[in-house]
Amino acid sequence: MNGYQMQIAQLRDRVITEPKSVGTGDLSTFAGVWINSNPETTGVARMVITQSGSQFSLRVYAIGPEGLIDWGSVDVNVFTATPSSHGVAGFTCLYDFGFVETRLQAMILKGLIVLAQIHRFKDGGDRVDYFVREYFALEHGRY
Amino acid sequence: MNQTPDFKLSGQLDPALSDPATRTLHADKLIGRWLNTNSETQGVAEIIIEWVGGRFFVSVLGVGEDGLIAWPKTKATALANLEEEAGQRALALAVDFDFGFMRAETYLRVNKGVLVIVAYYIFLDGSRRSNYVNREFFYRHGG
Repeated sequence: MNGYQMQIAQLRDRVITEPKSVGTGDLSTFAGVWINSNPETTGVARMVITQSGSQFSLRVYAIGPEGLIDWGSVDVNVFTATPSSHGVAGFTCLYDFGFVETRLQAMILKGLIVLAQIHRFKDGGDRVDYFVREYFALEHGRY
Repeated sequence: MNQTPDFKLSGQLDPALSDPATRTLHADKLIGRWLNTNSETQGVAEIIIEWVGGRFFVSVLGVGEDGLIAWPKTKATALANLEEEAGQRALALAVDFDFGFMRAETYLRVNKGVLVIVAYYIFLDGSRRSNYVNREFFYRHGG
């Protein structure tokens, strides 16, 4: 590291070998259509993740009273499992709808996306900010 | 005549979000000193959650090379967690720690007496470390 003192907040932040530039790693199983495991959800029904080069974007379709609501597409920030690895282990993104801001924080565990949703209302109403976790499976079409 | 508030998914219309009881969900399940269940962790050793002046504050001790590293004590956003396992209503917290060289976007929740932190680490120092995500589990100190 040529004398460079790597700052850490915990030992896990250290990279023993020279860190490589952030690559795309194994992303083959990340892009696709992810379906909510709960057919009774009142939240996110499915997510479509697409890749363009090293950038990923997400399109959310949520459950509405009269059908699916298309949230549109946003870029996602991709996270690995360690500071020195490259495979996708999670992502975050933000939807700002004006009246509410929804932060999505996802982890990939055992082939599932565990999606945390943090909804912060900005409309001055009486609804409290809230949190939801849901599970998504990749639609693979094999069976 | 009540007007339907803005929404982007049906869950945002859940009457529980406007229920005064939701605003006073018991904070005592979160408040306290929490120790990592993994004594060999390379990450977070301890979390202290406090309730001061009507707000939650979170202090973290990370495992360092020469002892514990105190993270900046940070104000948390309280979130209603209405759909936790077993239908229990609870609170979750969202906390963003700013280290200058790195930012950690986290959420914390208690499930069956275990505090779970999911943290998304974003390096800002040009060290070429990969942004990464990690999850750890904590038990309440002193039972």
